[in-house]
Amino acid sequence: MKMIIGGAFQGKSAFAQKEFPEIHWVSGEEISMDELMTAEGVLGFHRFIRKEMETGRDVTALAEKLIRENPEVILVSDEIGYGVVPADAFDRAYREAVGRICTQLAAFSTRVVRVVCGIGTVIR
Amino acid sequence: MMILVTGGSGSGKSAFAEQRVLSLGEGRRIYIATMQPYDDEGRRRVDRHRAMRAGKGFETVEQYTGLKNLSLPSGSIALLECMSNLAANEMFGEEGAGADTVSEILEGVRRIRQQVSHLVIVTNEIFSEAVSYEGDTDTYRKYLGEINQQLARMADEVCEVVYGIPVYVKGGEG
Repeated sequence: MKMIIGGAFQGKSAFAQKEFPEIHWVSGEEISMDELMTAEGVLGFHRFIRKEMETGRDVTALAEKLIRENPEVILVSDEIGYGVVPADAFDRAYREAVGRICTQLAAFSTRVVRVVCGIGTVIR
Repeated sequence: MMILVTGGSGSGKSAFAEQRVLSLGEGRRIYIATMQPYDDEGRRRVDRHRAMRAGKGFETVEQYTGLKNLSLPSGSIALLECMSNLAANEMFGEEGAGADTVSEILEGVRRIRQQVSHLVIVTNEIFSEAVSYEGDTDTYRKYLGEINQQLARMADEVCEVVYGIPVYVKGGEG
């Protein structure tokens, strides 16, 4: 598993597609759970988490499932935890979920790159 | 040794900070808890942290405001979590320091640092987002930003934890 993370609009997707040109990429908000488990590369992984939570699904076991069923996937995800605690309960839960899931996945990943202004820094 | 641990929400800061405390060797480990649970969500958060600390030999001290009045056993290893809560309590709480939040907290940290052999402080990066704030919330961000900068100056190590990965910005193993 590999992860490419960073703030919004930092050129993460372009970076990912350049780094891994052979990969078939799909968008997080458009895929089902089954499709996630067979995907080669996922852009906007945070939006997959949001979509699942909006439809009322529990995401607490998502990281474990992904590690078990699709350990070679490449994930591109926004970092969304760098603000004041949101007033809205859903926003708080979503923010927390993305953090916890990505932390679990980062521990499993062989490579984590953080992209700032289009420039990737390997942090793991 | 003083270590400042920062990072976003849900990034694994606490787990890293606890691990860092354990790596500092033997000694009484004091956990300075600053979050006052107001509701179920807060209580769940506290419970989760308590479960994480279980078995690591921490004594918990609750200090929601007035850090400078805290007296700790000399030679102990202290973990203060979290500066963002302490700053909010000082700024907004009835017994808080209000407009003197920054100076009160920094004085408290200085005093604790003199008492213990190692101090690890967890703070929070709340400064990069699209929403803009006014009034008290903006003042709070300003206070916490100032506190973080001053703490980083005092600290031997400053580490940002990114999804559990330590990224050292001052000193450290990086």
